[in-house]
Amino acid sequence: MKLFITGASGFLGKYVVAEAVRQGYAVKAVVRPATDTSKLAWADHPAVELVRVDLRQSRGIAEALSDVDCVIHMAAVKGGDFYDRFAGTVLTTENLLGAMTIAAVKKLVATSTFSVYDYFKPSANRVIDEAFPIESEPEYRDAYAQTKLIQEDMMREWGDTNGAIVTLIRPGMIYGREALWNACHGADFGSKWLLIGPNALIPVTYVENCAEAIVLSVGSAAAAGEVINVVDDNLPTRRQFTKALVKRTENPPQVIPMPWGMMRGVSSLAWFVNQQLLKGKARLPGLLIPASLDARLKPFRYTNAKAKKTLNWTPRYTLEAALDRSVSDQCLLSDMLAKAPVTPTLEPVAQG
Amino acid sequence: MGKSLKAAVIGTGVISKQHLSFLDSSDHSELVGVCDLSAAAAKYAAETFHAGQAFTDYQAMLAETKPDVVHILTPPNTHQKLVTDCLNAQAHVICEKPITPTYEDFKTLWHLAQEKNLHLIENHNYRFNEAILKIEDMVKYGTLGEVQEVEVRVALGYREAGGRFADRNLPNPVHKLPAGVVHDVITHMAYLLLRFMPEVDRVAAAWSNHGGGDLFKYDDLDAILLNGQQHARLRFSCYTKPECFTLFVRGSQGYAETDLFQPYLRTVIPRAGGEQLSPLINHFVNGWDLMGSSVKNFRNKVMQRTAYEGLHRLLDQTYAAILHDQPMPVSFEDMDKTNRLIETLLAEENRV
Repeated sequence: MKLFITGASGFLGKYVVAEAVRQGYAVKAVVRPATDTSKLAWADHPAVELVRVDLRQSRGIAEALSDVDCVIHMAAVKGGDFYDRFAGTVLTTENLLGAMTIAAVKKLVATSTFSVYDYFKPSANRVIDEAFPIESEPEYRDAYAQTKLIQEDMMREWGDTNGAIVTLIRPGMIYGREALWNACHGADFGSKWLLIGPNALIPVTYVENCAEAIVLSVGSAAAAGEVINVVDDNLPTRRQFTKALVKRTENPPQVIPMPWGMMRGVSSLAWFVNQQLLKGKARLPGLLIPASLDARLKPFRYTNAKAKKTLNWTPRYTLEAALDRSVSDQCLLSDMLAKAPVTPTLEPVAQG
Repeated sequence: MGKSLKAAVIGTGVISKQHLSFLDSSDHSELVGVCDLSAAAAKYAAETFHAGQAFTDYQAMLAETKPDVVHILTPPNTHQKLVTDCLNAQAHVICEKPITPTYEDFKTLWHLAQEKNLHLIENHNYRFNEAILKIEDMVKYGTLGEVQEVEVRVALGYREAGGRFADRNLPNPVHKLPAGVVHDVITHMAYLLLRFMPEVDRVAAAWSNHGGGDLFKYDDLDAILLNGQQHARLRFSCYTKPECFTLFVRGSQGYAETDLFQPYLRTVIPRAGGEQLSPLINHFVNGWDLMGSSVKNFRNKVMQRTAYEGLHRLLDQTYAAILHDQPMPVSFEDMDKTNRLIETLLAEENRV
């Protein structure tokens, strides 16, 4: 079975390629034309074929899909203004889906995000599972959430129109060597780290755990066409996560705890002033927009029951082990590839 | 003709937000259609700005909606064909800058517009910014005396990694224009200079590519322009900080300067205190004005008012002029001189 993996050189993508090779798949790894692949340990692996295309334009994508069985789509843009993100997330998906139609590829595993859920209206401490409400007022959310919501809609519609199988994987906050301090456990103010709501759980998944779940979804009949949330077991609180990070950070920021209720109050007040006195025209930072703040930091509970059941997946690395790997000097991609079969098989290897 | 004009938009990139927000809010226009090659982009723009329909084929949009005015917001290399087709569909055209890559192409379009008895407008938005209008008034009423020197200086980080123009994966179409990335701003620079020094009889232009490489044709322009004893300088740099768009007009009585990115107006002119006290009064008055500008700029930033403030003013005047059969705010002469000056700056015989 040959996989076409977009966003292959990205933070998550490079682990997904390594994991796909480890699970015995042949891979077409899609990177942008100018991407430096010298640090991607799998770039010269016999199971991997590099495909250099920019998905923001359609040229060459359908041809590259000619011998592909399934697409794992991860290309997205998390930086820049709305239009950069729209081009990097929505237009890329539109071009990919158009090419998949031409090439008659009918299986898509797409990486979405927890950001598509509505965190504002549901009450705190509810369990977020796959049936949790989707954001219905994206105009109050950031560009990332807005573009990922459009992307999900497009993929679902494409699947319905083309009779294709679309599996949506929604990871929580992914952490790993390249991204340890993240927006879901606080706010960065230079040398200070505002730890908002220290006792709330943080919906994290370690990048190698998440990559394994994504690749497992390709071969899982139970996962086909499903939406699956991916978070790790034994989720830490923000305080526990931060403490574990501080222990492993050479010059950690000064951590300043702030109760959730206090931050939410400040945000609500700013929102009230904006709506009542400024007609909602002021551009406020995300922490002062309740819908955005809630999406990052409102206390909820989380479950990975569906992922574990449908994918037969158990997160391989605990928080402590994952952080130890993240701060080690070890080449993680090489380590993953060392466990791969010598030549790709037509079927994935059994997981141990 | 009724009280409002049917408007359509081709192209939904970054600048479209400014045009579409005007069309969404203006009493002079009814947004009947939005077109983009990307169905997702057209749909998003149509929904966000309440357009009648979304199209991916502009000919279909012209045929179905029969717009009175079409805004062409696509890359410059597409303007010639799009403007021609819109004029042939009996629509007035408002086109983003540069209207065409060459002066000859502009003349061809202008002749067609004349033949069809239609208006053709190139976007000269910064001319309509508040600070520029104030300096124009100072010149008009003789506050600065006879204009002797004009300097237009633009500093933009076009070379910076991650920026739109530095992307090697999908090079921006502007790189193919005669002035490369400088062509993205040279129209603005040229028309602003010409507002204060309408004629030019000698030009020496240094076009450079200091950063080298084959992506950028030029990344720097330093041009001296003379008209009799009047001197002007056009300066574009990718290497100075902070980013700016400054205009300096020095007359026989005094001078005025502004920065369109951080608007302020500094004027050193004869004051009521006579020759002895004028320097002191200028210091106090400008100090007070600068403090006021700081507050205003902060407010504008929060309230999402950008340097594009002049665009809404230009569009409002353009629609009113079409509706009431009045002269256009950007005339043929304005566009003709602007595009001729750009051609002159690029001419081999004027290079140093």
